[in-house]
Amino acid sequence: MTGEDFSILLLTLRVAAVSTVVILPLGIAAGWALSRGGGPVRHAVETVLALPLVLPPTAVGLLLLQLVRPGGFLGRLLDRAGVELLFTWKAVALATAVMSFPLLVRPVRAAFAEVDPRLLGVARSLGHGPFAVFRRVALPLAWRGILAGTMLAFSRALGEFGATILVAGNIPGRTQTLALAIFHRTQIGQDGAALRLVGVVVAIAFLAILVTETLERRRARPSGAPA
Amino acid sequence: MMGPSGAGKTSLLEALAGLRRASGRIEVSGERLLDSAAGIDLPAEKRRIGYVPQDSLLFPHLTAEENVRFGLAKRGPAAARLFDEAVGILEIRDLLARYPATLSGGERQRVALARALATRPRLLLLDEPLAALDVALRERILPYLLRVRDEMRIPFLYVTHNAGEALLLARAVLLLRDGRVLGSGPPSDVLAAHRVEAVDPGASFDNIFDGLLEKKSDEDGVGRLVTPRGADLLVPLDPSFPLGRAVFSVAPEDVLLSVRPLDGVSARNVFEGVVAGIDRFPSDAIVHVTAAGLPWRAHLTAGSVRELALAAGRRVWIAVKTQAFRRLR
Repeated sequence: MTGEDFSILLLTLRVAAVSTVVILPLGIAAGWALSRGGGPVRHAVETVLALPLVLPPTAVGLLLLQLVRPGGFLGRLLDRAGVELLFTWKAVALATAVMSFPLLVRPVRAAFAEVDPRLLGVARSLGHGPFAVFRRVALPLAWRGILAGTMLAFSRALGEFGATILVAGNIPGRTQTLALAIFHRTQIGQDGAALRLVGVVVAIAFLAILVTETLERRRARPSGAPA
Repeated sequence: MMGPSGAGKTSLLEALAGLRRASGRIEVSGERLLDSAAGIDLPAEKRRIGYVPQDSLLFPHLTAEENVRFGLAKRGPAAARLFDEAVGILEIRDLLARYPATLSGGERQRVALARALATRPRLLLLDEPLAALDVALRERILPYLLRVRDEMRIPFLYVTHNAGEALLLARAVLLLRDGRVLGSGPPSDVLAAHRVEAVDPGASFDNIFDGLLEKKSDEDGVGRLVTPRGADLLVPLDPSFPLGRAVFSVAPEDVLLSVRPLDGVSARNVFEGVVAGIDRFPSDAIVHVTAAGLPWRAHLTAGSVRELALAAGRRVWIAVKTQAFRRLR
């Protein structure tokens, strides 16, 4: 691996980590709300949240660009706050966050929906308020789904391409992540250098799966069947 | 609280516990928990009402100990004392390190009871806590419930289909059907007035006898239960149980009926009586007999009732083996 490969890897990991950490609390909150609520509002929210899954990523990227460009709805707010976003690593994180959010919310929502509401009722009757019940009962019982969702979101963030290239461009050393660099190197005929990065991606994916499975196995023991 | 499925028993419990939206007024020992007119609706965590459902609902990710401690403060002498008392009364010290998945049904119910008791609720709601257990286990857990009632002095509202449990545990019975109160008052009165079998086809009816247990001097292993209003009954005597106040049950299946005087049978409890009434079901029947001053229920097939030509007012003899009596306390 060259020094350039290494800095691309670091940038990609940093962006994916920041994006995942930022959306994790939001995804847990959204998954919880969707698992408890019902009716037309929930369906509408779920549909909107699922859009990034079905739209072409470039379409989402263009919509995001309209929002955050100077003079756009969010762009003006960012300008006033003095935050430079477009064509920086923050823009990459924004694109990956939006694209990976639905992948986080779905398993989280499913996991919370599996938690028996009567169990939460018993916890309330033992003197704990809604937040304590959420933290001490719902969250630990749904951890598997939360872990799976986090893993999915992180992987999606690592490989995001379409939305990223529209909001952040493909600037080596600034916004060029692994996925963008593989594309770029293939375009300029450096297939060998591109394949090196593919190797890096495969290694990361392998590690991510390994870590997830190890975590699952370690936490699975206590609540499982007779040992 | 008794009544057929769908009568609203569980809904009532959940409304009391604050786990279900309700309107109206709920007051427990002078404190208003719900008063729709006054805009009062205490959340479940402020009501101090313990809830033990039929399926225990232990937290599967916590050990038995963590389950019992769930409603207690993290540390402090008061928490330690409440924990020790609940664990002691329900005798679950040996189970504390285990997870719910590794506990038997009866063990789970004891842990669930301890968990509710540890918070010192002012009222305990028990939703068919023994229904999922077999008869032997049920009889082992009943004494724990009696200790909760008599030693901890926590009042409870107990849902059951078992009239024997109601007679044993309750000072008052509330009979529900279709969301309405059909009757309430002392258990024997309500059960006699309403024929709960007719109201609740799922109800099961053990014969329950309450009295003073004495040693029968000439025979080992057999005791005499002196009932206040009726004849003495010969019951098994287990040396590990104390004499004195005792409650025994007999399943209606173990009460034999004859339309002729019984002579030369091995059963030791043989009495002459009169059929007080019959509850007929498609394939079987519960025959109510008054004999030796005591009310008995005998479970017969529809065919037997027909062949014996049983009807209210008919003279009959009943026979019950000593070993058919099981001691409840």
